[in-house]
Amino acid sequence: MLARWFSLDHKIIGLQYAVTSMVFLLVGFGLMMLLRWQLAYPMQPIPLIGSLLGSQNVAQGIMLPEFYNQLGAMHGTIMIFLGVVPLSVGGFGNYLVPLQVGASDMAFPRLNMLSYWIYVAGGLVMLASFFVPGGAANSGWTSYPPLADIATTGQTWWLAAMILLITSSLLGSINIIVTILQLRAPGLTFMRLPFLVWAQLVTAFLLLLAFPPLEAAGLMQLMDRVAGTSFFLPTGLVVGNKVAAVAGGGNPLLWQHLFWFLGHPEVYVLILPAMGIVAEVIANNIRKPLWGYRLMVWSAMFLGFMSMLVWAHHMFLTGMGTTMSAFFQTTTMIISIPSVIILTSLLVSLWGGSIRFTTPMLFALAFLPMFGLGGLTGLPLGLAASDIHLHDTYYVVGHFHYVVAPGTIFALFAGVYYWFPKVTGRMLDERLGRLHFAGSFICMNAVFMPMFIQGLAGLNRRLYDGGIGYSHAHGLQKWNVMQGWAAWTLGLVQLLFFINVAVTLWRGRRVSDNPWDATTLEWATATPPPHGNFASAPTVYRGAYEYSAPGAPGDFLPQHEPAKTGTAPVSETGTAPVSSRPPA
Amino acid sequence: MSAVPYTVERRPDTGVNNVQLGIWLFLASEVMLFGGLFSAYFMLRAGAPQAWRPLSSHLWSALANTLLLAAATATLKTGTATVSGLRLRVAASGGFAIAFCVSKLSEYASFIGAGLGPAASTQMATYYLLTGVHVFHVLGGLVANLWIAWTAGDERSVVRNRVEATTLYWLFVDMVWLLIAVLLYVV
Repeated sequence: MLARWFSLDHKIIGLQYAVTSMVFLLVGFGLMMLLRWQLAYPMQPIPLIGSLLGSQNVAQGIMLPEFYNQLGAMHGTIMIFLGVVPLSVGGFGNYLVPLQVGASDMAFPRLNMLSYWIYVAGGLVMLASFFVPGGAANSGWTSYPPLADIATTGQTWWLAAMILLITSSLLGSINIIVTILQLRAPGLTFMRLPFLVWAQLVTAFLLLLAFPPLEAAGLMQLMDRVAGTSFFLPTGLVVGNKVAAVAGGGNPLLWQHLFWFLGHPEVYVLILPAMGIVAEVIANNIRKPLWGYRLMVWSAMFLGFMSMLVWAHHMFLTGMGTTMSAFFQTTTMIISIPSVIILTSLLVSLWGGSIRFTTPMLFALAFLPMFGLGGLTGLPLGLAASDIHLHDTYYVVGHFHYVVAPGTIFALFAGVYYWFPKVTGRMLDERLGRLHFAGSFICMNAVFMPMFIQGLAGLNRRLYDGGIGYSHAHGLQKWNVMQGWAAWTLGLVQLLFFINVAVTLWRGRRVSDNPWDATTLEWATATPPPHGNFASAPTVYRGAYEYSAPGAPGDFLPQHEPAKTGTAPVSETGTAPVSSRPPA
Repeated sequence: MSAVPYTVERRPDTGVNNVQLGIWLFLASEVMLFGGLFSAYFMLRAGAPQAWRPLSSHLWSALANTLLLAAATATLKTGTATVSGLRLRVAASGGFAIAFCVSKLSEYASFIGAGLGPAASTQMATYYLLTGVHVFHVLGGLVANLWIAWTAGDERSVVRNRVEATTLYWLFVDMVWLLIAVLLYVV
């Protein structure tokens, strides 16, 4: 029993990550559904569950402002640090990377197990903080001081949990990098790696290098709160009409710099593995090689590098000066280029393909315009002048949710539907899958699209009453109502997914080892893959996307199959022979 | 297919084994951790309402600490490679490291006794922050030393690998200390 829980097998650990992070995604989503009630029907008692939330959180069924703040801060924290990142890196990265590089396991299996359990510990500390006096952290997911320095005890718990989570992802990222660089199968040169592996590699470097400065900042905030220091507290800070009794001399902007030095690369930690999944699903379902594979790889690397140089575009309104703003505005415009290249490559790949509209493909296809919308709405935020108007409004909330919700989360669903038959040997039901997709697509857009309207009208985010106390927001309340109902419906639609998983596990259609006719190495082994992954070490003969290869017996050539005499020569770089491409 | 390859022998095309690559990556993240702390130090010092003066009253103890730390690394690095020889090296190294920690704690006690705790000023806060995080790294090194002593009987090549990685870590801890010492006690 103990050996099962503390397994060293990367696939078990990957599944542990995936299941745990999905639970956290549900928790984070649940917090948001609660919060949406207060926005849609401000100061009205929460129906059904209002009385269960405890007297410190609700009064006569009405949500208290302190609880509202906790919900907002913890929704962001849980979704990002306990949901999406552990699912995309811990779950998909752990399960797929060793398989796709043809390795028997991660380079450091014990470290891998340790990083999962540290993540669990961090998650439990985070959840436990709801039950301490004053409740969970309530200074926003960004924990800006001075507010966070003087907030209730929950903030200390938040910091402790974050230090655990950072440690966990640090260990995980070392493992992923070493596995990719050291354990590649013979013949698997860098330009033959599936794009997912490249995306995971760049992501791991971002986690490795961008998280530690936040750890430094977290330690400082912890000292401010526990040891009475004033790293982030300026001289003469007034709290509750009294000058605070602190040494002063600190700088609140210091936190913002250190936080966003992580915070912006974190965006690419959220999006790169998603792009990796989408690339795999699209290549498989268009039955032809990805267009511009090399361009995508170099773009991903450039994206990773540039993501460390854009952080202060979150700080245009802090008074840091026009020189700084001009610099970060420029780098921000530059970083949009590699994202557009990757997105365009995926879009162009569709041209001339014989597309199979399977459920994973639907999610992957929807990712393209959704992420595109998220990215394009970011440009006005990256320009300092227009950001003055849009900063801290619902426009920002809409922008980054288009990137991570119908963007990343759709990609993650695509991945779940695509690799489910490899993990379990059973295919998820297509009809339920399509319903799940259609419902999610409509509801997601109904939630997030109106945010642009609200934001452009000047509605601030984080308002407890949803804006009804402000005259300029009076006409916008109808959108809050619609968003609320869309969010609750979105919750119902997700039931289809869980029903699908449960029914499939019970009596789903059994499939072969390679049901999608895929080329990459994870499909070359048994289903589910045994401990040690491959019966014998695979050798790789070609690039990752040899679909519609001329002369192949089927319409694809797996990476591990030796070339037979008489087949068309395959170039060293893994791109298809010229003859198989559509005419220009 | 089971055992993970390249744990000891180097992979020909990358030129390193897994442990070497792992420790270098770990140190890269450590550079970013201390990079964050040092940038905080510079930002706070540059913006301080009153100029910070170096803690020159404790310059000699800082110098002694530097020597202790260097000795901890040097003793781990040099000596015989037999099991008992290795354990002797590790024990000596650990002794110097413990002496460093004790000296550091007595320095804390003397500062706190003089009313200069972490809450006294932002300069003192950065002092406790930088040296505190560093002392935790020394303790981490001690744990690594203990682990080497514990497993000194393993296969020679595996042990050599571990000692190499641990020595590299100690060298990093030394270099960070040099930076901290110069910033806090000298300039």
